[in-house]
Amino acid sequence: MTSGNAPVSHQFTTDEIKDMIAARLGSNRIPKKFKIHTDTGDFFRIEYNDVVILDNTPFLFSRYEKEGRFGLDDEPKYWVRRAFNLFDGQTKVIKLVFHEEFESKLGDLVIKCFRSPKKEARILDLVADHPNFMHGYSCSDSGGNNVRILEYIYGNRLDEQVQKIVEDHYDYFHNFFPKILDVYIELVKAIKFLHDNGEKHGDIRRDHIFFDRERAVYRWIDFDYNYMHGESMFGFDLHGLGNIITFLCGKGDILVPELYRNNRKIFDTLWGEDLNISYKNRVANLRKVFPYIPESLNRILLHFSLGANIFYDDTNQMLDDLARARADVGTLTGR
Amino acid sequence: MSGSTAGDLAKRDTERHILLAVDESDNSRRAVMYVADFFSDYRDVYVHVLSIIQEPSEDFFKTDEERSSWLAEKQASVEGKLAEYNDILLGSGFREDQVSSRVSVRRCTSIGQAILDEQKSLRCCIVVVGRRGISHSEEFVFGSTSNKILHNASHCAVMVVE
Repeated sequence: MTSGNAPVSHQFTTDEIKDMIAARLGSNRIPKKFKIHTDTGDFFRIEYNDVVILDNTPFLFSRYEKEGRFGLDDEPKYWVRRAFNLFDGQTKVIKLVFHEEFESKLGDLVIKCFRSPKKEARILDLVADHPNFMHGYSCSDSGGNNVRILEYIYGNRLDEQVQKIVEDHYDYFHNFFPKILDVYIELVKAIKFLHDNGEKHGDIRRDHIFFDRERAVYRWIDFDYNYMHGESMFGFDLHGLGNIITFLCGKGDILVPELYRNNRKIFDTLWGEDLNISYKNRVANLRKVFPYIPESLNRILLHFSLGANIFYDDTNQMLDDLARARADVGTLTGR
Repeated sequence: MSGSTAGDLAKRDTERHILLAVDESDNSRRAVMYVADFFSDYRDVYVHVLSIIQEPSEDFFKTDEERSSWLAEKQASVEGKLAEYNDILLGSGFREDQVSSRVSVRRCTSIGQAILDEQKSLRCCIVVVGRRGISHSEEFVFGSTSNKILHNASHCAVMVVE
């Protein structure tokens, strides 16, 4: 755990805090009343505009971060807060300790998951010099809680970028997709880095990839999930990678009910084996929908279909296939 | 429980050693019964019953004490099961010196690979495992130990008991 140049420890007075807020954010941002916390154990007690001292650095807490899931409205994550470092004025995302255990459903499969602040802190140290992950550091508050202080990423999500592209699929695939595939390969290599170091990401989803505008790089976020794995330690991560490449190839999820409504000719060609192994309303065999998708790329998608009889064991196997597919996409598109 | 030790390795190439990889499941019990049924009459067949406990990551527990106590409980429970399996094998006619058993607690990313590492170091010519019969998507996400062994075993036979 490293935290940069923290000043010597001392108790901050309310006036000192007010002066810092005025200096960093302007006098109009000084709250009329606020509390100063050093123990974040009961995070519901930390209100908007309260100040939390972490590793001798005061942070002004503001809004809860939110996370949208599967078309539902954004849900507030009460343990994840936007904050300002009152020493340097930088915006941070601060994750407080929340030992949540829950069952994640993957089609018919139920996976026991839990949040592990320790895991995320360990990975933050591991990826401190890696451009494709969110960066930050961890520290213990006065109550011994493992708090993670993360750099705020200015930018938007990869999946949002893809869905904003207005061109039809043919134009998208020939003009935009080659570059997107390069980004994806870079992101798979980043996951390989984690796996090579004995760590899983734990929650690989398309909305966990952010484009960092300042550094012009895509970054994985949120790696505090863990789960009891079976024989395949990285199977769940690979499953996530499969869903993302399928989404990117299709310029969104290609849903069976939509094909039934809008493209009955293609719907009639589909068999059960063409569908996603976990989400049986999504098409995995996209070459049936978009025949110009190269075979080599489609074969990767088929590893994540109900018809698959071999699965990727690790990212190396997937990266070998991706290299072949990238070459074929280049030949097809000239990009 | 007694049996041949690692010191006998030179002899092993002329003997027949079976690695019987088990856990606490019913399919492991079936694998034990199968070995008892088929091999107990052979006087030169030695059975090494092995159970691997994957050392859990610190992430799964709030404190180190919780982790140590989980591990101690798990080990005691597996050892109890191995004693049962030992009784089944001896009851079927194996001599005491033909059967050994061991619990191995280790950090590993794959139990299947850990079993194959043991097979190599013990120079066993057959690996016997049970199979759970998991669904397609379960195998995709969690993997299958018996499939891992089937695909990666070399210089030995593999028996998968269903």
